[in-house]
Amino acid sequence: MLIEQSAYTNRWRSISPAAKGLFALSGLIASFAAATPTTAAVVALALVATTLLGAGIGCARLARVAAPALGFLLIGSLSLLVSPALDASGSLTLQWLPEGSAPFFRLVARSGAALAALLFLVLTTPLIDLIALMRRLRFPDVLLELMVVCYRMLFVFSEALHDTLTAQAARLGYATPRLALRSLGQLTANLAIQVWSRAHDLHIAALARNNDGPLRFIEPTFADTRRDLAIAALAGSILILGATLL
Amino acid sequence: MHIMEGYLPVEHALGWTAASAPFVAYGIHAVRKRFRDNPEQRMLLGVAAAFTFILSALKLPSVTGSCSHPTGTGLGALLFGPAVMAPIGLVVLLFQALLLAHGGLTTLGANVFSMAIVGPFVAAGIFRVARGLRLSLALSVFLAACLSDLATYVTTSVQLAWAFPDATGGFAVSLAKFAGIFAITQIPLAISEGLLTVLVFNALARFNAQELRSLKLSTDLEVRAQ
Repeated sequence: MLIEQSAYTNRWRSISPAAKGLFALSGLIASFAAATPTTAAVVALALVATTLLGAGIGCARLARVAAPALGFLLIGSLSLLVSPALDASGSLTLQWLPEGSAPFFRLVARSGAALAALLFLVLTTPLIDLIALMRRLRFPDVLLELMVVCYRMLFVFSEALHDTLTAQAARLGYATPRLALRSLGQLTANLAIQVWSRAHDLHIAALARNNDGPLRFIEPTFADTRRDLAIAALAGSILILGATLL
Repeated sequence: MHIMEGYLPVEHALGWTAASAPFVAYGIHAVRKRFRDNPEQRMLLGVAAAFTFILSALKLPSVTGSCSHPTGTGLGALLFGPAVMAPIGLVVLLFQALLLAHGGLTTLGANVFSMAIVGPFVAAGIFRVARGLRLSLALSVFLAACLSDLATYVTTSVQLAWAFPDATGGFAVSLAKFAGIFAITQIPLAISEGLLTVLVFNALARFNAQELRSLKLSTDLEVRAQ
């Protein structure tokens, strides 16, 4: 996963996740508080600049991660540009920009800025750090347990998929289109069984290690959390004030 | 189905979050009880979550600010019950926002309501009705998965139509516009999801009959080796 790779290798990996979360939250608030589309666009640019210049995420990587979401945003917003209506003769027509272009630009700018805030957070903070942060914020244990197990199962799924594909390919399962279709069908039918069985094995393994309930892991520690939080609060306040006043 | 980050106005985002909260809270209570009574199901809930994550990551763009994809919540609802799927769906949607930038944090409540609450409850309801009408297990599973998928999309269309009523025709025209656009991609996807769920269910019934019997909604299933 491209986002996970960036989260573990970026320049701000050692910054407290609480500080990065606070700044991202400020970005989300600023994107909704922005008075005009131009202001929201400025908020988006500020967040993107922080991600690129501060955290050291590469331009190409950010573009690759953002491209699908931006594509959805642009395609999705097209529905605001047209409005179906019946004309005098009773036939269906499409009216172009019934409310003008303002709602379209407002939505694109707000959503773009909020997306920039989300990308800042996910590209700089590994999921495990976020789960640890949620534990400190006293989210329900059961929810965190589900998150840990689901996260692990994603890799179990990935491993089972890779193993099965390799085994099928080694037996020329994808040599012809007809064989490939058959192999894909078998892969789909058997993947759930494989993972189900591996999940059962994981449970046995946990019991063998005297696990009696919650799955707990050593959580990373961050040296300058207070300093990081103070800087994030200052930067976030500037972002929100700027979005509100501009 | 996932409405993207920042797409909904703030009052809608907060409103859908408030609407989802009681279901998620009850679901957490149900999962806690399940963990206590059947600790071996902990990993299986993880499998259901991962399955849902993978299926709902197979997305196609839609001209509505959302996207089309299988939901995967029907299978989980049949195996573990609809209430449990609310926190599982919350985790899946949160992971998709954090790992794939698909969906979003501000739209999490709206997405949870459509995919993790309406979808699973429709799946469980349809399954019970179908079994009550003595339809075959395969057809009942197919109908439950297929119609829960469609119910999810109708809910998303309602959410979008409510947030963005049409300039001339209001909510009704907007709903027709969003639902109509979704239908192009979603009806074939719903049928595919129904068939896939039957495949997976059959495979589980064939090789994991013992575990299936221990799950709440499957105690009356005619599980047999084929």
